[in-house]
Amino acid sequence: MASEVNTGFLNDKKLDSIAADILRPVGITQGFIVWMGFLGISLLACIYAYYLQWDKGLIVTGLRDYTSWGMYIANFVFFVATSLVGMLISSVLGLIGFKWVKPIARIAEIIAVAFAAIAGLVIVSDMGRPERLPYVFLYGRIQSPIIWDVTVVTTYLVISALLYFLPLIPDLAISKGRMGHTPKWLQKTYEVLSVNWIHTPQQYKILLKAVRIMLILIIPTAFAIHTVTSWLFAVTLRPGWDSSIFGPYFLTGAFVAGSAAVVIVMYFVRTNYKLDKYLTLHHFDMMGKLLVLVSIVYLYFNINEYLVPGFKMKTAEAIHLKELFVGDYAMMFWSVQLLGLIIPIILLLFKVFRKPLSMLVISIIMLIAAWFKRFIIVVPTQDHPFLPKQHVPDAWMVYHPTIVESAITIGTIILAVIIITILVKFFPVIPIWEVAEEQHETDSKTKE
Amino acid sequence: MIKRYFSLLLIVLISLRLSAQVWVVPAENELRKSPFAFDDASRKAGSEIYNASCKSCHGEPGKNNPIPLVPPPPDFASVKMQSNSDGALQFKVTAGRGPMPSFKNTLSATDVWRVISYARSFNDKYVQEVSKSSEAGGASVQNVKIQISWLKDKNQVQASLSAMKDKVNQPVAGAEVKLFAKRYFGNLLIDEARTTDALGNALFNFPADLPGDSAGHVQLIARLTNEAIFGEAKADSVLIIGVPTYRPPLNEQRAMWNVVSKTPIWLLLAYTIAVLGAWGFIIYVFLQIRAIFLAGSKKDPDSAE
Repeated sequence: MASEVNTGFLNDKKLDSIAADILRPVGITQGFIVWMGFLGISLLACIYAYYLQWDKGLIVTGLRDYTSWGMYIANFVFFVATSLVGMLISSVLGLIGFKWVKPIARIAEIIAVAFAAIAGLVIVSDMGRPERLPYVFLYGRIQSPIIWDVTVVTTYLVISALLYFLPLIPDLAISKGRMGHTPKWLQKTYEVLSVNWIHTPQQYKILLKAVRIMLILIIPTAFAIHTVTSWLFAVTLRPGWDSSIFGPYFLTGAFVAGSAAVVIVMYFVRTNYKLDKYLTLHHFDMMGKLLVLVSIVYLYFNINEYLVPGFKMKTAEAIHLKELFVGDYAMMFWSVQLLGLIIPIILLLFKVFRKPLSMLVISIIMLIAAWFKRFIIVVPTQDHPFLPKQHVPDAWMVYHPTIVESAITIGTIILAVIIITILVKFFPVIPIWEVAEEQHETDSKTKE
Repeated sequence: MIKRYFSLLLIVLISLRLSAQVWVVPAENELRKSPFAFDDASRKAGSEIYNASCKSCHGEPGKNNPIPLVPPPPDFASVKMQSNSDGALQFKVTAGRGPMPSFKNTLSATDVWRVISYARSFNDKYVQEVSKSSEAGGASVQNVKIQISWLKDKNQVQASLSAMKDKVNQPVAGAEVKLFAKRYFGNLLIDEARTTDALGNALFNFPADLPGDSAGHVQLIARLTNEAIFGEAKADSVLIIGVPTYRPPLNEQRAMWNVVSKTPIWLLLAYTIAVLGAWGFIIYVFLQIRAIFLAGSKKDPDSAE
């Protein structure tokens, strides 16, 4: 983001066409109603599943003494991971000065806000007595990584929301007069949220400074949120978790999941809203390259994480690793590594695969693999305690997720999709003023 | 590595030797018998002593669940245990061997007999033979009282023995007394066994460096060695004669695993600074949004003109 804004774009005729393009899909459409209806009904079924859990407790899930985290915590790690992409795209790449991230930065922030917001709910889904949630704040110990996690997730959510909202303010002001086709309440919302924005240089100066502070602050916060999440595992002595590289391992894995999620949202925004002028093939090409980069880094950490203990094969570690490599989890483990990392890396090296549709397919597979990857990190370790499993019913020996907990997990994903849909549908999904400003700059440069 | 194998071999050999070696009981001990007849009271007292001092290694009688030592501590109900004579059991409990500690200082002779009384309750075929001397009349001096006092100028502990005789309280002379200081694991013998003088007093040299509790309290126990003659007399009193020693409880210091009020300072600082730092910037940015709002409303009348 530039340190100063040339407000000349405001009088540029191009602004009108850009705003018209981006605002056209904003508002309530039939497609939106159908889609939200589908999500809403599915969510109701999931809420009923949660009602069962609320009523009966965690006994309705497959969680027992040995595997007490299971699908829920795997889901939590997945949510935190996916939300980190906001930091990668708008902050790291934006601050370095990559111009191509401008139109997709807001999509990345939407994903960050949606997934960070639901991550907290996912934790609550794992609580047998959710009404005791306030106790975390009343009686929590600062020494516990769980408290650190609660702290950084909240902080990250607020910073992400600000990074979504701040660059939106000029767009809201630009949109105000151009919203004739939308309902009154939405226009009113724009009016309030645009906080008296009248495009003065002073306002731009304040805005850029605020955005810059948040862009810098979100980097350590994002590192903290996922490193602390990894510490929930790594500070224990259990095979598969007792690792000193868990922080960077989680962090780099997060970028893979998040980038894949961005590509998926990009694809649907581009095709449904006919925004191929703004989300161009170049953007997909660049995102493809970014995916290769983050995947290779993550693959490198995977090799470290499995090869090093696999070479030593300490007794407890060996039981765990054999289960992953050739045992009960082998199918899932190798599918995740191959479909989620190795094959996408190879395919995306070729330009033919860095096209929107093929990238959509690859990204969906990568995102699903990313979810199962978290399952592999969380569950098999708990299935292998140091002491022998004894004096418990047979059904407690091996973790089998139930339909109820699967439904609750799907419900959290639906909630995130609902948030994304609302933000994408009711507000400009591409930063109008930033795109207009950039076009104005390149135009005036070519004129010279 | 070789050293390790060697020490392992050594341990195995020693334990094999110990388990193979017969525990020889001197003939006079072998034949020794309890001075009193075992009854419900002695069995009950014995079971209490057993639970406090024996069960942790020997397990629950009849369940064959001792801790895994080499040789294994025999179950009290087992043939191995019950094939000992009363005197042999009394000798073994008192003397100890290898992992079996000596209870000479911890349990009085009578208490050892009570434990044996309890052990025999698991043997239906057992028929007790009571010591003949006790059958003849038991202890010749009865209701001996021991008083422990501190002679500060001499650095000595004095045990004074007296007994009611002909309705008059008279000193007991010629009785052998042992003095113990109670420690965490058993009783520590102080000085040596001493015999009372004509005034019924026995004097013990008390070490100047014996640790007491934080106030210097030391619990002292005086006991008669010859219970056959003087009966079972015991005194138990606390004197402030030890070196005051403060042992901090494990949860006193600040630690990662302690309660929140005992958070390590570095962590408290790091957490607070990080949270205040991040939220300071966040609040600052909220104020900037307010500044944007104010900047906009200031210009409003101008643009209206």
